[in-house]
Amino acid sequence: MQEEKVHVRLLIVAGVALLWMTAVFGRLGYLQLVRHSDYLVRAQRQQQRTIEITPRRGAIYDRNMHPLAMSVPVQSAFAVPSEIGDNKAMAARLLSGVLGIPRDVLETRFDSGSSFVWVSRKLPPDKAEAVRALNLKGIYLQAENQRYYPKRDLASHVLGFVDLDEKGLGGIEHELDSSIRGKSEKIVVMADAKQRWFDGGAAQKDQGANVVLTIDEKIQYIAERELAAAIAKTRALAGTVIVQNPSNGAILALANWPKFNPNSPNDAKTEARMDRAVSAIYEPGSTFKLITMAAAFDQNLIRPEEVFDCENGAVYVAGHRIRDHKSFGLLTVSDILAKSSDVGAIKIALRMGAPKFYEYIRGFGFGQQTGVDLPGESKGLLHRLENWSPISIGSVSMGQEVGVTPLQLVTAVSSIANGGLLHKPHVVAEMRRNDQALPLTGALAPSEPKEVIRPETAATLRRLMEGVVLNGTGKLARLDGWTAAGKTGSAQKIDPATGRYSPTQLIASFTGFAPINDPAVTILVSLDSPVGQHEGGQVAAPVFKRIAEQVLPYLDVRRDVPLNPKLIQASYKHQAAEESATLEDFTPVDFAGLPDEPPAQEKSDQPEPVQPAVTVALDEGGDIAVPDFRGKTMRDVTEMCLGLGLEPVLVGSGLAVEQAPTGGASVRHGAKITLRFGLAEEAVKAMKTNTNRRR
Amino acid sequence: MARRKSVPMREFRTVKRIDNSRLVRHMEPAKQKNLFKTAGLGGLVAVFFLFYIFQHFRCIDLSFALEDLKAQQAKAAALNSELKLEIANLRDPMRIDVIARRQLGLTQPLPIQVREYEAPSGMQVAAVRFNRRTRGQ
Repeated sequence: MQEEKVHVRLLIVAGVALLWMTAVFGRLGYLQLVRHSDYLVRAQRQQQRTIEITPRRGAIYDRNMHPLAMSVPVQSAFAVPSEIGDNKAMAARLLSGVLGIPRDVLETRFDSGSSFVWVSRKLPPDKAEAVRALNLKGIYLQAENQRYYPKRDLASHVLGFVDLDEKGLGGIEHELDSSIRGKSEKIVVMADAKQRWFDGGAAQKDQGANVVLTIDEKIQYIAERELAAAIAKTRALAGTVIVQNPSNGAILALANWPKFNPNSPNDAKTEARMDRAVSAIYEPGSTFKLITMAAAFDQNLIRPEEVFDCENGAVYVAGHRIRDHKSFGLLTVSDILAKSSDVGAIKIALRMGAPKFYEYIRGFGFGQQTGVDLPGESKGLLHRLENWSPISIGSVSMGQEVGVTPLQLVTAVSSIANGGLLHKPHVVAEMRRNDQALPLTGALAPSEPKEVIRPETAATLRRLMEGVVLNGTGKLARLDGWTAAGKTGSAQKIDPATGRYSPTQLIASFTGFAPINDPAVTILVSLDSPVGQHEGGQVAAPVFKRIAEQVLPYLDVRRDVPLNPKLIQASYKHQAAEESATLEDFTPVDFAGLPDEPPAQEKSDQPEPVQPAVTVALDEGGDIAVPDFRGKTMRDVTEMCLGLGLEPVLVGSGLAVEQAPTGGASVRHGAKITLRFGLAEEAVKAMKTNTNRRR
Repeated sequence: MARRKSVPMREFRTVKRIDNSRLVRHMEPAKQKNLFKTAGLGGLVAVFFLFYIFQHFRCIDLSFALEDLKAQQAKAAALNSELKLEIANLRDPMRIDVIARRQLGLTQPLPIQVREYEAPSGMQVAAVRFNRRTRGQ
């Protein structure tokens, strides 16, 4: 009996326990199996945070890896109004005190009904710390990046600028935005009850690419400083300077005036943000005569010593009388270029004919984009041949009725400097991500240079362009210590009021390169509407000289002509006296206060004191008469050239057929002699032709 | 019915001496082995369980530490960027130019004040270095 009672009690306890266990396990099963997904979502909502990581924009460096643009992490404050609750007024008051934003503005933002509002973006570190210290409910800080341009307005048109969301809006920042920016990435982090993060997500995989430019910040600074000085002196409306490496088309400096500070682009006017070097079209004027000459020489239609009658300053083309800027009589082709005779250029173009001339103009890249890796490039203005009027050939030959960009012109002149190869101008040298070079594709892909004129033609033009600097309109571009070649241009602008060429508003320009035998730089200087002196040879050529004389030693280019100490000191003293009052910061050299200036300047009647350590270059060569190499083999030519101290440039194979400079011409020690080799019959024919011509 | 007078009960205490000392508990080796096995397995599971718990909480602790380090690294990286920016600012050619000319009174040399030299060949440099070294010794 007693045992039965015990059994019953045990059964009751076991039953209750079983029920309890069943209830517990049943509930567990319900939660784990039936409501699993709901609770998983709720847990994740509580514990996990998804944050969007915007990779830092890649930096932009100059060719020596000096940073020109870089991003620095900063904090931005944002609010989740629903979390602030009833404390919006207090939060607005406290934040207003810290950030200096009006209280009512913040309150309006908090009451906007949005689930997320920015309080203030890209805060300085002290303000971000102050916001964090407030520890307000519903106010958070978000890591962002701020773009800085540490050199301020240096190369601003090349670099461009970004908006508040770091989107590139100009220059390289815009052109390579997708690569520099990288891709945003969302990562999941776990947070504990105190909202501390743990178990953070993976690191960024796709960071913004760093860009290395061909720009050299020192050369860029020299170009900008000299351009600013020239603008201040000439009171021109605008200006452009481009320094290019003629051997590969790399842009070493690209300066425009007016310029802007990309750290605060909205403070600048729209025209200041315009990259004139690639976007502005202007009539090149006399600088375009180089193209006319190049085309004629390349077809063997003219010779440097050939004489043209320049008709005392006027010529009729299709019934229209075109007047020269000066009255010239008989001029050789060399003099036509040196003195910039319009009539001479027109006559040369007429001999060539419009179709061939047009072909060469297109060949030099005019009327089409150069393909430079900068945004907003204009293709210039060149009428199709079928739309040319009978007078067009006259106008185009002297640089009118054709619109070019400074970049097109400097690239064309570089092709003359390098022996006839037209390289694509470019500013991007390479792109790197995580220390690995990225392949350059699309517009950045390197392209093969195109031969636009023969090497002999280029050599002839280089000599003629040297004449412009030595004896012609570009005398003020003559360098102290280096040979230089170039061409001046003074193109009239169309007066919008009259629709005719303005007699006072001109674009003064100079395009040239140095040194002649192995050009290191091609420089274009263009000044829009200088006041007072307004011709290219007067205002642009000196800028070329000042830039070249600073850039060439910086690039370690050896001097190739002897210096004249007396002339140099006199010219610098004159320069300092003229400019010290106006240029201030922009005057690169103030020789007026030079402590070691020799007193001989004042006492000119006394003998020149011996100056120690002033001898720089020796005139090693003097004039060397170039032999006639035609009919000779490559070996003979090389031996003869080396014996005379000349540098042969050999093109083709067989016997020497053509040479530039021609036999009998005088050149300096180390000068380049370009020779074309061909079949023996061709060489004999060339020699016979020459003999007949002499007779 | 007459009430009977109760007679006290006499109680006897008998001691039954049982000697179990000769009893030997029979140990079944298979069962004992099983017991040890089960106990060992249980212990192992318990150790694994404890290790898992330790590992789990250690992982959370390390995650916090890692996040702290990441924050420190980010701070250091930010400082590094700021310093690089400052260096870049200080190397601004215009700033250097202005300091050189205005504060230090420096000027660019005249072309005639610069003397150009041929860079010595590597062999010459090596020879000079060798001579200096031997002289020093």
